[in-house]
Parts: sequence; C-alpha cells; structure tokens
Amino acid sequence: MMERINENGSITFFPETVDEEQNVHSLSTTGRLLAYNDELKKNLKNGIKFTDILDKLIETDDPYELLDAVTALSTYQLNSSYLVFPQQYSQSDYYLIFLNRLLQLHENEKVVIQSSDRNDELYHEFPGINHQGYFVFRLEDGFEGGAYYTEKKTGEVLFYINFNQKLLHFNSSAITNLLVVKYGAMFNYKVVKELESYLVNLGNYFKEDFGFEVDFNIMDASNNAYYKFTKQEIPQDALDKLFIAASKENFMLVTDLNDDAILKLDNNVELIITDRPVEQEKTGFNWGMSIQDQNEKVAWFDLLFKYSFLKDWYLNNLKELEIEVNQLYF
Amino acid sequence: MADENEFTLSDHKQSTTNLSSSLTRKIEYLQALNAAVEKQDDRLVYQLIDDRRYSSEILKAKQKNEKFENEFLVSDIHDQLSTFLSEKLIKYLREIYPFFYFEEVQSGVYQFYFGNWWGRRLFGELDVLNVKFDFIEEEYEKLSRSFALEVENKRYNTDTINELSEEMDNLQELIDTQDQRDERKEEIRRELKRQSQEKVSLFSQVKVKEQKQKLIDELSNLTDLDEKANDAYQKIKSYEDKVLKLSKEDTLLGYEKQSIVAKFGTFENFEDHNKALYRDYIADLIATKGKVD
Repeated sequence: MMERINENGSITFFPETVDEEQNVHSLSTTGRLLAYNDELKKNLKNGIKFTDILDKLIETDDPYELLDAVTALSTYQLNSSYLVFPQQYSQSDYYLIFLNRLLQLHENEKVVIQSSDRNDELYHEFPGINHQGYFVFRLEDGFEGGAYYTEKKTGEVLFYINFNQKLLHFNSSAITNLLVVKYGAMFNYKVVKELESYLVNLGNYFKEDFGFEVDFNIMDASNNAYYKFTKQEIPQDALDKLFIAASKENFMLVTDLNDDAILKLDNNVELIITDRPVEQEKTGFNWGMSIQDQNEKVAWFDLLFKYSFLKDWYLNNLKELEIEVNQLYF
Repeated sequence: MADENEFTLSDHKQSTTNLSSSLTRKIEYLQALNAAVEKQDDRLVYQLIDDRRYSSEILKAKQKNEKFENEFLVSDIHDQLSTFLSEKLIKYLREIYPFFYFEEVQSGVYQFYFGNWWGRRLFGELDVLNVKFDFIEEEYEKLSRSFALEVENKRYNTDTINELSEEMDNLQELIDTQDQRDERKEEIRRELKRQSQEKVSLFSQVKVKEQKQKLIDELSNLTDLDEKANDAYQKIKSYEDKVLKLSKEDTLLGYEKQSIVAKFGTFENFEDHNKALYRDYIADLIATKGKVD
C-alpha cells in the first residue's frame, strides 16, 4: 500500500492496485490519482444507484417496481474496497420491508416491522401474538433468492419463498406446530386466524400480483385443495378412530361407493378422506383429505380450530395423517 | 295276433291324451307366467312361482290338492326371476329398511350392508324369490345381543374393553415402577452381600438363612416383574389395537341399534316385521296395483 502525508497532516492511503504489473509501472502519479478518483466516482454512483432503488422500495406504488427493487437490493453489492457503508440493512431486512410495502399496496398491512437493537436486525411482530412471535427471513445457503420465513424462537419455518424461481410454499408442519398447537393453546381463535389470514393474503398477493406459484397447503380453502398424506397407504386405524371420536360428538363418518370416508360437519361442510392417483413418476394411489364447502372458505386449518376432536385426532395420529410438505424446501 | 303271455300295457291313446294335457298345462303355466312378467305383475309372478306359500300365507286357504311341479319348470332361471323381481322388492325394502344397502354381487344375487357409515358390516343376503333376509348369523347375533345388553346399560364389548383397560393399566404400572424395582434390587443385593460377610453365631444361623432365602425370593420375583415390564410396551400396543377394534364394533352396533329404534321402536318389532315380510310385501303389491289400476 502506498501512502503519502499531506500538507494538513492527514494521510492518504492509496489502495493497493490489483491491476497488471505493467500498468502499475506505466501509470504516472497523475494517472494514478485519476484512476483512483474514477473508482471513487464509480463507487459513489453505485451508492447513489442503491439509494434510487431504495427509494423505489420505500415509495413506489407499482408492485412490479417493488418486486424489481427488492430483487435488486437483496443481491446488491454496495461495499467495495474503495467505499464501505457501515450502516446497512440485511437481505432479510429488505424482504421484511418488501412484505410490508406489498401489504400496504393492498391496504392490508397487518404485521408490524420492529427493530431489534440486540440482534441488530428487523423482525416482524404480529398484533395479538406480540412478543410470542419473532419473524425473520433466514436465507437459503447457496441459493440466490431463496429465503425461509421463520419464527426465530421456535425455529418453525412458515414458508419458503424464492424470488428467482417465483414460488412460495407454506409449510403445513410448522403451521400446525406453531399456529395450531402453540398459539392455539395461548390465544383465542380470532387472533390466530388473523395471523393465518395475513399469511394467506401474502400468498394471494404473490400469486396475483407477480404470478408466483403458491402452495397454501393446509390453509388452502378451495374445494380443489387436496391435502396429501405423507404416508401413501390408507390410514385404517386413524379412520377407525375418527369414526369412534366423531360418533361421540354426534357426527357420523360415512362411506360411499368408492370406500371414501366422509365426515359431514356443521354448515354443510364435508371432510373427505380418500385416495387419488399419485402424480408423475410413482404409480398407485395416495391417501389424503379434501374439504368441500359451498363458499370454499374452509380449509383444514379452520377445522383444526373449530373441532377439537378433529385436532386431537390429527395430532394424535400424525404418523398416519401427517400432511405432505414439499420435500425440496422443508 | 295277441300273445297271451304279454302284459297289458297302457293304452296308447290314453297316454297321448294324458301327455298332451300335461304339456298343455305346462304351456298354460308358462304362458300365464310370461303374461304376468310382461304386465309387470310381480304379485302374480310370486303366486305362480310358489303357489303353496301364496295360498297359505295370502289366501289363508287350505292347500288345494294341486300339483306344484310346474314351478320346477323355472328352477333353472331363478336368477333371472330374481333379477326381475328385485327391482320392486328392493325399492320397497329401501322404504321399510332404509338402513340396509343392497349390492348386486352377481346376476340375481343381492347382499346388503347395515348402514352407510364407515366400516359398516355386511349383514346378509336377500332371498328375492322368498322375500326373505338371510342374515349372517354371527353379525345378527351381535346385534341381538347388544339389544339384550341394554338393560344392563352395557355395550356389546364393554366387559372385554374394561378387562383390557385394566390389564393395560397394570402393564403401565409395571413400566412406571421400574425405577423403584431397580432401587429395591440394589438394596437387596447390598444386604445379601453384607450378610455374606458377617460372622454369624451358631444360634442365629437358621434365622439368617431364612432371611437370606426371603431376600433371594424377593429378588427373583422382582426380576420376573422386570421381564414382564419388558414385554409390556408391545402388549399394551396389541391391547390398544384390540380395544380399537372393539370400540369400533360398539360404535357400529350403536348406529345399528339407533337405526332400528328410529324405524321400528324395538328390536322385537323389527324381528316381527322380518317374519311377516312376505305377507306384507304381497299386500303392498296388491295395494299398489289397486292404486295404479
């Protein structure tokens, strides 16, 4: 490294040059200065460009610009050997900010961004759940654009999002553990349902605004939703148990000509446990559940809350009934 | 020339007349049956295929001295008759026995399930020609027994389930008390060791020996329990499976009982209806025909 003591006593350090040796020798002092200055300008411009993108993230009303902004920021190389910005947000922070901006555009900002001095990071807090939930993005190793929306204390990953591949997959296992079991025991249904709606809304915005492929899993209320069990075979014991448990609650598990199991619940909601051909490579059938209701408003998540016998049944028989999550991401 | 040693044989003219009139009767019978079928007159079909029963149960008439062998003429097409007659009959049965679900397993053969609930039992076969349920004896017996148990306020498997539950509790306790047993075993071993090192006076030798034997017995008893505890998990699992099966059966029987009570009030009334099924059905056919005509 070269250095020079200036007239005012300050010291200017010249960056070590990585250029080829012949350039070093051929450059005059003025040449060096010019080159250095150019580098600084370039890096300052890089900083200015960054702030322009940040402006967009903060202010734009256009969802596409917003998405471009977060995609750019999340991989933006702000520091260089010439210029270091000591105060910076992390990639996770930008993702969180992005979610809130997206919710704002839909006038549906239910989640609050908080700043943790201790961890030097931003996090999401959900009104009602408050300090019992601390949500951040955990970045996927070695995969650009992939991140896990994680509750930090429990480590439960609620969804995986990949901005490059344009997909968002919810994790039924984490949603069951965190929302149904943990929060279900601490808060009333309304509070947890709000949190769930927030997640579903997010999924919808990604799907509708950006064409993401979204798997809502147990929060999917459409009648087409089919919650596939991890285990392929018929959950015979679990179905027998459901038959008994339902009868105690004055519901009847009935069968049809295809030997499906159908539980008729209140308000003409039907839970159907059936097998369907498995997709692609594998052959045969796989058992799973679907829920039919006139308004397509009811998902498995809702039934878990509405009927405690269904929740007990599901949680006590997870070995047979665990709903499949995408093995690629969870 | 007639040989006088030949026996006298039937008069051929007479035999011709006899045969011809027999054949005519058969043809008339089949024509009548065919006409009844074409007119969709199930009642008449029933009468024609079993006149004896029809006369005794419907007409309450003394059995006429008639010949019934005509009925054998259709014995090789019983499955077709059965298929033909099943339509109206099953429609009728669905009204009276809404909890029976009929399945045609082969042409003219109908089995029925009790209920439409999960794990419903196959309950019997329908004898269409005789308008009769052929219940599967074992299944029917369970239902009948569970009605009888009502007075004791018990379900069919209550006793067995209670026994198994008790057994499971015992096994669970064996598992839960493992630590205590381990402690006690250690104590005994220490005590035995201590005793073996102690000098014993001649007087107390017998007493000490007795004590020692007692401890050894206790130790072996504890080891036996340990062994049982080792198997306990597996046993509990198998008992749980059994209890599940039995509870399921109780639930099934519960629904069956409910269905019968809802429709017939009592099991006895249900049985009476079964017995009178033929009569009731023919009466219904007569009544319906009256309405249609």
